[in-house]
Amino acid sequence: MSEANNTAASAGAPPELPPAPLPFLLNLGLVQRALREIFWVTVTLSLLLGSVSGLLAWAMPRIQDRMLRRNRVPGFVRELRNSLLGIDNSMGASPADLGIAIAWSHPIIIALIAAHSIIVCTRILAAEVERGTVDVLLALPVSRLRLFLSETFAWFMSAVLLFAGMYAGTFVGSRFVAENLRPDFVNLLVVLANLVLVYTCIGMIAMVGAVVWDRRVRAVLAAIIITVLSVLVNFLHTLDDSLEFTKQFRFLSILDYYRPIDALMSGNWPWRNLSVLAGVTLGLWIIAAAWLSRRDVTTT
Amino acid sequence: MTPAIEIRQLTRVYGSRRGIQDVNLAIPAGSLYGFLGPNGAGKTTTIRVLLGFLRATAGSARVLGLDCWRESERLKAEVGAIPGDLRLWGWLTGDSALRLFSRIRRRDLVRRGEWLAEVLELDLSVPVHKMSRGMRQKLGLILSMAHRPRVLILDEPTTALDPLMQDHLRRLLRDEARAGTTVFFSSHTLAEVEDLCERVAIVRQGRIIADDTLATLKAQAGHDVEVLWPADVEPPDPARAPAGLKLSFATREKWTGKFSGALSELMSFLAAHPIADVRVARPDLETLFMQYYRDEPEQNGGRP
Repeated sequence: MSEANNTAASAGAPPELPPAPLPFLLNLGLVQRALREIFWVTVTLSLLLGSVSGLLAWAMPRIQDRMLRRNRVPGFVRELRNSLLGIDNSMGASPADLGIAIAWSHPIIIALIAAHSIIVCTRILAAEVERGTVDVLLALPVSRLRLFLSETFAWFMSAVLLFAGMYAGTFVGSRFVAENLRPDFVNLLVVLANLVLVYTCIGMIAMVGAVVWDRRVRAVLAAIIITVLSVLVNFLHTLDDSLEFTKQFRFLSILDYYRPIDALMSGNWPWRNLSVLAGVTLGLWIIAAAWLSRRDVTTT
Repeated sequence: MTPAIEIRQLTRVYGSRRGIQDVNLAIPAGSLYGFLGPNGAGKTTTIRVLLGFLRATAGSARVLGLDCWRESERLKAEVGAIPGDLRLWGWLTGDSALRLFSRIRRRDLVRRGEWLAEVLELDLSVPVHKMSRGMRQKLGLILSMAHRPRVLILDEPTTALDPLMQDHLRRLLRDEARAGTTVFFSSHTLAEVEDLCERVAIVRQGRIIADDTLATLKAQAGHDVEVLWPADVEPPDPARAPAGLKLSFATREKWTGKFSGALSELMSFLAAHPIADVRVARPDLETLFMQYYRDEPEQNGGRP
């Protein structure tokens, strides 16, 4: 027998290919990779969010308390506050509930959570294409759906840290005000759930942009523009009487489905709002996953 | 026997831009296959279709019998690939990359990865963002080979490697092929393909214009012929030269041309005339390649 035949004989028949893995399972290596990539941005924004929410939880209830005591809330401010809180009448709300509701709807808070979701969610695929690492990523034996699932899972894990920071910051900030100016922290969990879904909606807008476009800046800009427009619709009618008609479009605003004061006052779960936000999140996730699975990927 | 890589009538267009057209390849398992062409000829597009990055506009591409688009996840478990312009995540080190890829591939790559690092002389403790381009290329090669793939798809893998490392890599690839791995090696460096590959396909403007063993391609290309006639003797009439001799230059002192056919016929003709000197040689791959690229396909059907 020739040497070649000997080699072939000892090698035997080529091994069978491994069976196809189940489609809806995470790849833990990819989750680890994603967590490593978003670790510092998450830690930084979590600390920042915790600090700002702590500061607001200390300041806002006291400001509201002073305003209510003096019974001097200008009409414009009341209107703006009501729009911010997603209510038409905040009569009967305690300074603690009003203060925390304003703190948790504050533009800085919304900007910080939006920044985190947009930074994290535009990584796949736009940032990988821009960095040129997508070639290595997609050469791995992982389907695009599994890649997307793993990335989404890592994002949700980072969100846990982010919102834990915010909740802890509020808790710490509230320790420095009078007991009657502290919120009900069980009711605050309902607000937290509502805010998390606002966050996931913004993230999903960014994710759709990042799988459709290869340029991260486009995806980021699209997410920022849509988010700002969506938030603006909520406030337009407060700017001038001629913009009163914009009230009918408030259903297009993300903030129309985020009503912290109701939850803080009653502790009731806003199922309708949660369902709309969860539905939009899920719908956008399916669109992004389907687009990613079917699109061509090229770095040149 | 099913080829390790089988491409049939594969076409890929980018809108109005040409990618590849009607590409056919059948690459046997365990072979070292060169894929040759200049930049923009369609090499990377073909590789991207094989790796499931791009969907074919028409035709089919299969690796190990699996469809490159629909069964991409399964086939990539058995494929190692290195892109033409390799980029890795800057926060990785060689060690952490091996551990991470082990977890993603669900195979232990560390031991073989360390062995490959020894062969390619790479310090695995250096972070990627501090690596030179050559070091990154070595790490890419290690990561593409550490899981013992049955098919290696390498897009210009020697880019950024010094000549010594290129030699190490060639030896490594020969060993892999001997062990049964199919190596699909794209390059525009002719010498390394000539040195390494048993068979080559030449791609031009998105089409395969030659696909054969190097020996056959060279045989098809014929012989370069140069004849010097003595100054004191009248040379023969070029019209009476053997049919296989195509003269590109003919004067009283010198004939230059290409001969295709039985060499004995040429030798008999030359023996019948007094000659000062003669040179008959097979073209090297570079000449062959240039011939393919110089000739327009419309004029000669893609053959030189």
